[in-house]
Amino acid sequence: MTDDVKVADKTDSLTDLKETDEDLRLPSVVEPAHFPVETIDTEARHQTPAVGQRATRPDGRLHGLGQTKYIDDITFPNMLFAKMKRAGISSALIKSIDTSEAEAMPGVAAVLTGKEIPVNSYGPSYQDQPVLADERVFHAGDPVAAVAAVTEQIAEEACERIKVEYEPLEPVYDPVEAMKDEIKVHPPHSNIYATKRIKKGDLEKGFAEADHIFEGVYSTQMIEHVPLEPHASIAQWDPNGRVTLWSSLGRITLGRADIARTLDMPINKIRIVGTIVGGNFGGKNEITTEPALALLSRKTGRPVKMVYTREEEFIASTTRHPFIMEYKTGVTDDGMITARKVRLVLDGGAYCSWSETTLGKACILSAGPYNIENLLAEAYCMYTNKTMTGAMRGFGAPQVCFAYESQMDEIAHKLGIDPLELRMKNAFHEGSASPTGQVLQSVVVKDSLEKAAERFGWKEDGQ
Amino acid sequence: MKKRGKGMGCMWYPIGFTVMANPSAATVKVNEDGTATLITGTVETGQGSLTVLGQIAAEELGISTDDVHVVSADTDATPMDTGAIASRTTYVTGNAIQLAAEKAKNILFEVAAPMLGVRPNQLEAKDRQIQVKGFPQSCLPIGEVAAHAQNGAGTPALGSASYNPPTVAMDPETGQGKPFSTYVYATQIAEVEVDEETGEVEVLRIAAAHDCGTAINPMLVEGQIQGGISMGVGMAIQEEMLFDDEGRQINPNLTNYIMPTSLDMPDLEVDIVENFDPTGPFGAKGVGEPTAVATSAAICNAIYDAVGARIYNLPATAEKVLAAIKSKDRSDRQKYLPAE
Repeated sequence: MTDDVKVADKTDSLTDLKETDEDLRLPSVVEPAHFPVETIDTEARHQTPAVGQRATRPDGRLHGLGQTKYIDDITFPNMLFAKMKRAGISSALIKSIDTSEAEAMPGVAAVLTGKEIPVNSYGPSYQDQPVLADERVFHAGDPVAAVAAVTEQIAEEACERIKVEYEPLEPVYDPVEAMKDEIKVHPPHSNIYATKRIKKGDLEKGFAEADHIFEGVYSTQMIEHVPLEPHASIAQWDPNGRVTLWSSLGRITLGRADIARTLDMPINKIRIVGTIVGGNFGGKNEITTEPALALLSRKTGRPVKMVYTREEEFIASTTRHPFIMEYKTGVTDDGMITARKVRLVLDGGAYCSWSETTLGKACILSAGPYNIENLLAEAYCMYTNKTMTGAMRGFGAPQVCFAYESQMDEIAHKLGIDPLELRMKNAFHEGSASPTGQVLQSVVVKDSLEKAAERFGWKEDGQ
Repeated sequence: MKKRGKGMGCMWYPIGFTVMANPSAATVKVNEDGTATLITGTVETGQGSLTVLGQIAAEELGISTDDVHVVSADTDATPMDTGAIASRTTYVTGNAIQLAAEKAKNILFEVAAPMLGVRPNQLEAKDRQIQVKGFPQSCLPIGEVAAHAQNGAGTPALGSASYNPPTVAMDPETGQGKPFSTYVYATQIAEVEVDEETGEVEVLRIAAAHDCGTAINPMLVEGQIQGGISMGVGMAIQEEMLFDDEGRQINPNLTNYIMPTSLDMPDLEVDIVENFDPTGPFGAKGVGEPTAVATSAAICNAIYDAVGARIYNLPATAEKVLAAIKSKDRSDRQKYLPAE
């Protein structure tokens, strides 16, 4: 902010605030649209039958021309910009939050804390995540207050002036350590917040039938979705008490129910408009800032927008679960799998989010696409004081696939069987029973193995 | 010295999600000129789902992709949808759309039957016409039938429907049950080059053969596979969120969190495995997530083939690969779980 900018004084009336807005507003740059007006359609879009056509996407042309309107491109008259104060400490009790200095700042329209949220918790499975932390901090990226101001810069500066007093608590970061439940992330609840078990056949008998036993421990890392467009929303509370949210949310029906719950409002008073989303990959499957923005809009009577920074995208959105995976597999001399035992430990981060689903899918899929009569798979998901893990493209499958396919490779090399042949021997076929006893249909594992091997030149290659 | 190796990864993946019902609903309206409007609560998140869903409605009505306009993602106006999640959109939302379009089509058949002097069940919708099965010379343009349905018969052609995948609850003790309606299958094979002196891995090419049931739009399926592989490459050798001793992230930015750019991408050879699932819309299943599943396994198996070093702990960064080459033991396997 430069010195010559006129600012509203501490007792800012709406008029003063309006003047501040106008002074701070950047000159509007209206770029004329430079694109051919006639549309180009590929032949495939006009063909019948429609299924099987390589039809182009109608949104592709808008993306290519830079004409797509993402939330960051959308603006409304008198719109405010929100920022959130992040805890920066991974486990602590909140003793006090002093927002007075931030509220007194010129250009700040409203400050919101967790105490003002009607039901300050959410989550798709368990409602263990606060919209704004008000009593306790569970990971360093937790928001503790939100500010709406006439510019993003003022909102950010106001966040810095919010004073939070913490009483630090002993944190736990390692999921194996967390499993002991000596330090609880969400007391009195156990850190082991979800488990899954798949049992089939007779494990001992299966291992007894094996000529070779292979054991290995595999682990994977925490990964961020990194969508090009970060999480973004605009909230507008209208004088009839109805709120409209433009959001990058990927599941608006369930999101609306979650928002209604946090705001303690009837569902029909909430409208969510799903905008064009610049990448989701599972990371935008739950609400984030929407309830706080709705309440800031109610407090100010103005539309409020918030777009995550890239850093917030990392520290405050969901991520891919790190896995620790223990595999024990019994195999005969000719490469037939007789038994497999799997134990999975998932680092579930500070909140459940989609961990329960991830755990379930990982457990079901953990034996691989192979006929294994004797199987035991057990999976545990742990709270830790780290960024929450949740849905991400593959829901636990990439992690277990890394483990079971690495071990398949070890088996192949040890037994001197070609890796392709080993998989062909054990692969599901039409009518195979899955680990959960489901009779499988439209099974083409072997076709995919053969097709990929043929395309790659697996057999010709002399390596 | 740089050494080359090859490795494969094979996988299966379910369509839709378990734990609770995950339905979708849809409405299809046929306009007076024979074009149609599809109303769905799903969100386009960049994967091209609205194009594919439009193709499903078009196919049921016998019209083209361009004849269908898709309206989506407004909770005030569009029917419920469980969302763009769990690779379920083509399969679950697609089934709802096919059922909704069928209802609209049946209204067209009711209206067209007396015009053509046949029973409604003798009719089919094909090439923008309502025609008699086995005698296509007897036909009416779909627009003429739709206009008559609305302005003559007073029964505008529209339909709404919902779909939820049939599942069987899992036994809590043994996990036995039918958690998902259907699954897809895939294999990816990677060729890598490993620098023995630095441990650096370059992924040279990946052949990917994926099942998605019927490919409603093969171009978009290929796009999903290519994109999924890019995420798989990142998981295999580059991406990792790191924390300091106090639980704060140390690389929450794209300078220090390394992910693949177009320059890191291997040559991709993508095949769609021919398949048909009788429970999917026109035989389709799904493809979004499975594309990112097998890549890291294929790459790490190729690293082993190249230099004999087994990676147990992702990502296979140059440091880790070099350490594994030097020790060739299982030193990075020490992170054992506590005894049961």
